[in-house]
Amino acid sequence: MALKELFEKDWQELESEGVLFTSLEKLVAWGRSNSMWPATFGLACCAIEMMQSTNARNDMARFGSEVFRASPRQADVMIVAGRLSKKMAPVLRRVYDQMPDPKWVISMGACASSGGMFNNYAVVQNVDSVVPVDIFVPGCPPRPEALLFALMQLQKKVRGEAFDELGHQLPMVDAWTR
Amino acid sequence: MDPLTPRQDASRDVTPLMQELRLTPDPFAGSLSEPTAVVEPGELRHVALHLKSRGFMLMDSVGIDYLSYPQPRPKRFAVLHNIYHPYDHRRIFLRVWLDDRQPLDSLSPVWRAAHYLEREVYDLIGVEFTDHPDLRKILTPDDLEGHPLRKDFPIGESPTLFREGRFLDPAAFRAGLSGQDGGLTGWRGSLRRGSLRDMVPPVMPQGGPK
Amino acid sequence: MTTLPQTPGPRRTSSTEKPTEGALLHTEMLSLNVGPQHPSTHGVLRLVVDMDGERVSRVVVHMGYLHTGFEKTFEHRTYQQGVTYAPRTDYLHSFGHELAWVLGVEKLLGAQVPERAQVIRVILHELGRIHSHLVFVGTGLLDLGALTPLFYTFREKESCQDIFEAISGYRMNQGYFRVGGLSKDAPEGWEQMVARFCDQQERGVQEYLNLFGQNPIFLDRATDIGIISAQEAIDLGLTGPNLRASGVPLDHRKNNPYSGYENYDFEVLTTQKGDCLDRFRIRILEIEQSIRIIRQALARLRPGLVQDPNRKISLPPRPELETSMEAVIHHFKLVTEGFHPPLGEVYVPVETCRGEVGYYVVSDGGSMPYRVKIRSPSFVNVQALEYACVGAQFADLITILATIDPVLGDVDR
Repeated sequence: MALKELFEKDWQELESEGVLFTSLEKLVAWGRSNSMWPATFGLACCAIEMMQSTNARNDMARFGSEVFRASPRQADVMIVAGRLSKKMAPVLRRVYDQMPDPKWVISMGACASSGGMFNNYAVVQNVDSVVPVDIFVPGCPPRPEALLFALMQLQKKVRGEAFDELGHQLPMVDAWTR
Repeated sequence: MDPLTPRQDASRDVTPLMQELRLTPDPFAGSLSEPTAVVEPGELRHVALHLKSRGFMLMDSVGIDYLSYPQPRPKRFAVLHNIYHPYDHRRIFLRVWLDDRQPLDSLSPVWRAAHYLEREVYDLIGVEFTDHPDLRKILTPDDLEGHPLRKDFPIGESPTLFREGRFLDPAAFRAGLSGQDGGLTGWRGSLRRGSLRDMVPPVMPQGGPK
Repeated sequence: MTTLPQTPGPRRTSSTEKPTEGALLHTEMLSLNVGPQHPSTHGVLRLVVDMDGERVSRVVVHMGYLHTGFEKTFEHRTYQQGVTYAPRTDYLHSFGHELAWVLGVEKLLGAQVPERAQVIRVILHELGRIHSHLVFVGTGLLDLGALTPLFYTFREKESCQDIFEAISGYRMNQGYFRVGGLSKDAPEGWEQMVARFCDQQERGVQEYLNLFGQNPIFLDRATDIGIISAQEAIDLGLTGPNLRASGVPLDHRKNNPYSGYENYDFEVLTTQKGDCLDRFRIRILEIEQSIRIIRQALARLRPGLVQDPNRKISLPPRPELETSMEAVIHHFKLVTEGFHPPLGEVYVPVETCRGEVGYYVVSDGGSMPYRVKIRSPSFVNVQALEYACVGAQFADLITILATIDPVLGDVDR
């Protein structure tokens, strides 16, 4: 197709010929959402199911998330997997601060999301009080499938296709800042 | 005879051993407990050295706070050392009664296993061990004051919050289960201890939950 | 029985060798912080390692980053509710802790566990052991830089979890045992599922050995590293495979049998040297022994009750509630209050895949325990790190930590 045709035809015509129109923001978000590298923040039982979600049966690689980075500086999403003790909370915050923007947090399991069955002096009752959480995954521990679903929800959120509980569309994360 | 075949015969009986070391059996040990001997705090290391020379190993150290136990006990704290023989499978518990802030001889010069176990008892119960090489907190964070497994340390529950200000008070949720907690309703179930702690009226958080 | 081949040829210098004295270069001691967020500390263990060049001269272990307050929480839950807490301490061999808890409470209550429940407990206990050893082999080799075995062992681990899910509804942290028996009977076809898994696992062990059993890198990194002698192991309070790798045949399944283990024919395996390779080897061999026990248990499985019929301990079945007033009263009392064991203190040791687990339960006559002390094997085993690593290279520290196989939930509780 000659370059000239791009300016002569209207966009419906061009789309039927295989030319895609998008905004740069959407393109960046699309690329971002398909390679979310998680930081390994395995704490307890949920970490085993998190490992399980990368194995042959569940294969998190289908969603571009199989590359678990040990260094938070290379990661996009932190999966807080397990109960967070008060001794560990400063470490969690520090690891979160070390991650480059934009960054997301998945709170995996009942203990991370709400303290779960441990309501006592030692356990932080909600990870959201330490780091801002995007997705909560229920379960004790959640199945790998639940984690995959959470990841897909997060991808929607990154692409601006997510809705809140009242049905309003959530704004897409600005491409350059967060 | 195969040495691994389980036997419940006299060779597992620790009574001769206790007689030989002149240990007194624990009068409070019921029929269900493992053989338990009461040791004076000053004699503990001496007894432990004897047991070590006979090939025993230290399995565990248990610290117990008897503050609100329904039956009277001689002193507030007890430290139990769980001692086991890995070849002839005899097990004996050494119980030491301690008052608050009464130090106890450390067993880490005898068994290296005592190192962490005694640090744990120190951290969670608050028994101090003399001659311990490195007596620090081990499990709880450095800024936590107090010893969590003492009976006067609260469990530290926070109300579970729901939407529109509704909440669930865990103590109330559990009220009546055992008589240990009053909860919001104050109903203590069928079993009444009548200790002073139970008489304290339950407290609603000021103006509901935060 | 399969055995790992003995390593041929000369080995490199042993880890106990002292660094040469009077070295020409002036070097400083280096303190290196490992963890608490580190991929090969198996959780959230933190080590501060003092190093002289590449050699480790001191290791200080900092733990408590997963301290959950289990023992305090147990004091505020009924005995039956404790069953949900126990598996979350050691989440890889959760049935081990569950069994230790219910055995302790059953001893306190004098509950009679029916034969079928005991056999199912044995099967699950052994499956849990296999489950944990599979994770050990996979992640242990991952720490040595071999990624592939993880995928092989996790394949069998998935099948194992399918069995758990079929019987209890949970893949991990089952909470399936009850004081006095099991929560419900096994579903139909479950025995065949277990039998199929045994065959699959037997092939799997062969596959793992083909995969890394003769791998020179693996053998080089594991042989003669982190030697713990029998004397030292007893002094350090090690139990389980770590102790048996040093040559002490202590196994509570044989020595203090529980749940009918005296009826099964299996061997307590020991190796003599106590290095990292031995600790790898003994766990792989234990998988085979566990399969052997499971097969015998499957043959012993007969239909029958799975709960103690004593209505003071276990809930009455649903149909009985509609006909009997007494059953309704028992149901109400058990659900709102739970049972009240007599005053006493009990301790029942159980052999899990990490060593001796025992719950020291103090009862004050109420429906909640007065004090629970968990004898967790990982907590004691981790001490060995401070001794076994001295003089070793830093890379060996990771191997030694992997083969000691702590689970941080079990360490910190």
